[in-house]
Amino acid sequence: MDDEHLISKKEVLEEMGISYGQLYRWKRKGLIPEVWFIRRSTFTGQETFFPRDQIVERIQRIKAMKSEHALDELADLITEQVSAKIQIAFDRLQKLGWLDDSLLEICHIKRQDGAAVSMREAFCLAVLRRVRSAARQEELDLVQRALMDALEKKLMDRIPSGTIHLHLLRKRISGGGISAEISMVVISPEGAIFDPEIEVVTTIDLGAVLQRIRLDLANMNGGRSEDVGEVKGEE
Amino acid sequence: MSDERQSASISGSGSLTGGTFSRISISGSGKVNGDVVVEDLRISGSGRVSGTTEAGQIVVSGSGTFSDTVIADEMRVSGSSRVDGLVQAKELKCSGSFRTSGGITSDYVKITGSLRTGADVEADIFRATGGFDIDGLLTADKIEIHVGGRCRAKEIGGERIEVRRASHSLLAGLVRILGVNSGVSRLETTVIEADEISLEDTTADIVRGKRIEIGAGCRIGTVEYEETLSVRDDAEVRDRRQV
Repeated sequence: MDDEHLISKKEVLEEMGISYGQLYRWKRKGLIPEVWFIRRSTFTGQETFFPRDQIVERIQRIKAMKSEHALDELADLITEQVSAKIQIAFDRLQKLGWLDDSLLEICHIKRQDGAAVSMREAFCLAVLRRVRSAARQEELDLVQRALMDALEKKLMDRIPSGTIHLHLLRKRISGGGISAEISMVVISPEGAIFDPEIEVVTTIDLGAVLQRIRLDLANMNGGRSEDVGEVKGEE
Repeated sequence: MSDERQSASISGSGSLTGGTFSRISISGSGKVNGDVVVEDLRISGSGRVSGTTEAGQIVVSGSGTFSDTVIADEMRVSGSSRVDGLVQAKELKCSGSFRTSGGITSDYVKITGSLRTGADVEADIFRATGGFDIDGLLTADKIEIHVGGRCRAKEIGGERIEVRRASHSLLAGLVRILGVNSGVSRLETTVIEADEISLEDTTADIVRGKRIEIGAGCRIGTVEYEETLSVRDDAEVRDRRQV
């Protein structure tokens, strides 16, 4: 990471007008991801730095939360252990523009009034929505199955501790006048290298998707309405 | 699963398969195979859970071993306990010896015995009068440490941090008079950061905060303070700067 894009903890406190207590509290609540804490040795001793844009944006969002309750809800959404149990009402997803009959079908979710989906399903929907433009129908199904399987194996627990990517890959194999193309889904830490014959259809940063969902949902609860609009436009 | 939850008690030697229970009591030597959800878990002999444990209350007065995550409203350890995983407890009281390989998340942690953790300890309030060894960050809104043994954490951060010399122990007093105390009953860490910090008997590379008091027996590399700093005569501070 480029040094210019880093901001020291002291600068964060000063620029954002917050205290050590608040910063540590938000860290504990999981509102500030562990991976953003970058420890460096400087001439004044060990210091902690953050990715500037991300931390500034995050703290602005946190400060915009109107009440402690909203903050707790945001925290609940961001910390997985709790959010596994969270049910997200359909009408909220509807407002976020996530609901799409074809995606719901792939995820085996039935559209019902007053129904809710789990955090996992919401996550799956969000990933599929991002993959859709590049993927074929059967590949969407493959992505869904790979994701659900990974989630079953505690994928969510791994996301906070490092960047996890989902790659959709294709490889053409030909011989004897027959050619076939196979599709693959790989979920791995960032930096995976594929052989040159593999076509990387799309790569999704799962951590970013998860953060996005959580913040979107949290913002619907108590945040600023313009953020929700921004989400709708984002694809 | 039926709503009626069972209760199990092992008083000789035995084992049971995990599941949902209202109460499990182990007073002999017992083993729970698999994940368990239990309202009330009491181990006064030697007990072992070989899966995850989700409990309302856990009381260990003998020896307890948990081979995976423990989630509880209240966990009390007065004997000896080991968790090979994370601990999430609203309230954690340890007067015996407690070891975890994963981190601890709790609203309230009270240590009067000894605690060893392989990762971070996160709480709203952390109080210790015993010793601890935290191989990670110790963070809480309020941290109160009465140094009663070797206390070590990689880093400490929060809102208010108070470290005091344990004055009530006669033995500690004697040891101090005899002058063999140095290096035994101390808090050792690299970085301490909080809005209000008051320290005694602490060794740290860096102390950063708004209002800082460096008291008796401290050996600090650098103090960076925003508003106020007071340093006792017998404390050692190599470098101090107002930021």
